[in-house]
Amino acid sequence: MKQRISKLFINLLFIIMTFTAIIPFIYMLFTSFRQVYSLTDFNFQLSDFNFDNYRAVFTNMPFLTYFKNSMIIVICSCALNIAVSALAGYGFAKKRFKGKDLLFSLFLATMMIPGQVTIIPVFTMFNKLGLLNSYASLILPNVGAFGVFMMKQFMEGIPNELIEAAKIDGSGEIRTFFSIVIPLVKPVIISLTTFTFITVWNDFIWPLVVVSTDDMTTLTLGLSTLQGLYLTNYGLVMAGATLTFIVPFTLYIFLQKQFVEGIALSGIKG
Amino acid sequence: MKSKPKSDLSGYLYVLPATIFILVFALIPIIVCCVYSFHKYNLVQSMEFIGVENYVRMVDDPYIKAALKNTLVFTIIVVPLQTFLSMLIAALIAAQKQNWWNGFVKSALFIPVISSMILVGTLWRIIYNPEVGLLNQFLSIFNLPTPNWLGSKDLALLSVCVVSIWKNVGYFMVIYIAALMDIPRDLYEVARVDGASGIQQFLHITLPMLKPITYLVITLGTIWSFQVFDLVYAMTGGGPGTSTVTLVSTIYNAAFREYRMGYACAAAMLLFVIILIVSFIQRKFLNPKDDI
Repeated sequence: MKQRISKLFINLLFIIMTFTAIIPFIYMLFTSFRQVYSLTDFNFQLSDFNFDNYRAVFTNMPFLTYFKNSMIIVICSCALNIAVSALAGYGFAKKRFKGKDLLFSLFLATMMIPGQVTIIPVFTMFNKLGLLNSYASLILPNVGAFGVFMMKQFMEGIPNELIEAAKIDGSGEIRTFFSIVIPLVKPVIISLTTFTFITVWNDFIWPLVVVSTDDMTTLTLGLSTLQGLYLTNYGLVMAGATLTFIVPFTLYIFLQKQFVEGIALSGIKG
Repeated sequence: MKSKPKSDLSGYLYVLPATIFILVFALIPIIVCCVYSFHKYNLVQSMEFIGVENYVRMVDDPYIKAALKNTLVFTIIVVPLQTFLSMLIAALIAAQKQNWWNGFVKSALFIPVISSMILVGTLWRIIYNPEVGLLNQFLSIFNLPTPNWLGSKDLALLSVCVVSIWKNVGYFMVIYIAALMDIPRDLYEVARVDGASGIQQFLHITLPMLKPITYLVITLGTIWSFQVFDLVYAMTGGGPGTSTVTLVSTIYNAAFREYRMGYACAAAMLLFVIILIVSFIQRKFLNPKDDI
């Protein structure tokens, strides 16, 4: 009996927690389909629901361009980050060269540098290169030591014998890397992709600083502008908010485990 | 004996691209930031060396003072609450048999984690709206007071704190669940045989075993508190007055609204030093063997 009650209590707690976590999103979706300037109006009919807010978002702002930009930046950042990290991770895990440990501790040290501290010098650098408001400036700074660290940790688990055996079989350096090492680190690649995807998709301060025209704006930056311009047109703002959330949310639904792992792992990044 | 790889110059080639990125986007910028902080620089005119003047000026800057005060309040409210809540929720979830319902609760709590701070801030700004927002409508059903959450100097920071906790609990919960799964089951078996109650088991087994993770959660929470920007930008813009100004918003305004790059870099160095100190304190507490 006592166990039953505590079980009931815990489940009630779970329901309240789940409700608290998702109610803002349900509210967002709900409001985005209604023409509301006053949210006090809860007397609604099914016929109130329409796509007018979404249509308005697309006519008032180039949201499709924002979407395209976010996709380009995120996909390039993921690819670049994985390529660079996999190479370096392999070098640190399986190669011997002078100064390796020192170099790796330097990598680790950079993980402690917060992005907000390097923003100004990186901005002035891109400014001098004339590369502000470009894809390059939005993509390149997304490569960091964290991916290298993750790759190295995982690649250390690959038995050296496996790599030696491939070499004895006449597989060259590059082929060994691509056909032996890369397939073995697939889980890290997926985790690192989800992590990079979410970080870059959600990034705000860097696009805010670098981007100066509509044709380079990302979805997250666009939402902030939309919110500033149409503060009291709640339906419109919520429609914009929903649009920025569709891609990450869909990915999350399909790759839940990888998302949780990839993002939780970033805890060690600090 | 384990076979060891031979010393190999190709190692340099593998790490070269990453090293360039690290140099260009982390190491050199931190040095440049330090150099800028001793100069007057507005992007247009050439730099002028002014010694420690930027740092001296920070002492009297009302924005820096407000930012530090707000961050302190933010940290004191957010860190203990989110640590406690995430640990509690994780313990509750880990104690249940794994089924679809617990999995669903876990997944739902993680949704705020994957959303951007801008999205979260946008949603909550509307929820907090004094006249038409969801929160005050809910409160008015029970005839509770319906304050202007983000418009009042006393409540704005607190309201932002609540949102921050709401967003981050799911993240720390996942870290705690992973740590809880690593605690050997037989420890609990032995305790149960010895007649320890559930609460005693939690206090004498779970809590001590979670210690390293708790330090990590507290450190991360503190570091994040010093880095708040997006949330405040979307919810309050730093106001009303200076009641929600943060260190990063001060850096942003100085650099990209007033083009005082040198001064902004001095503030950035302050942020960097604070974060370094917090990390070192964690290192001291943490047994390096427990490090991941």
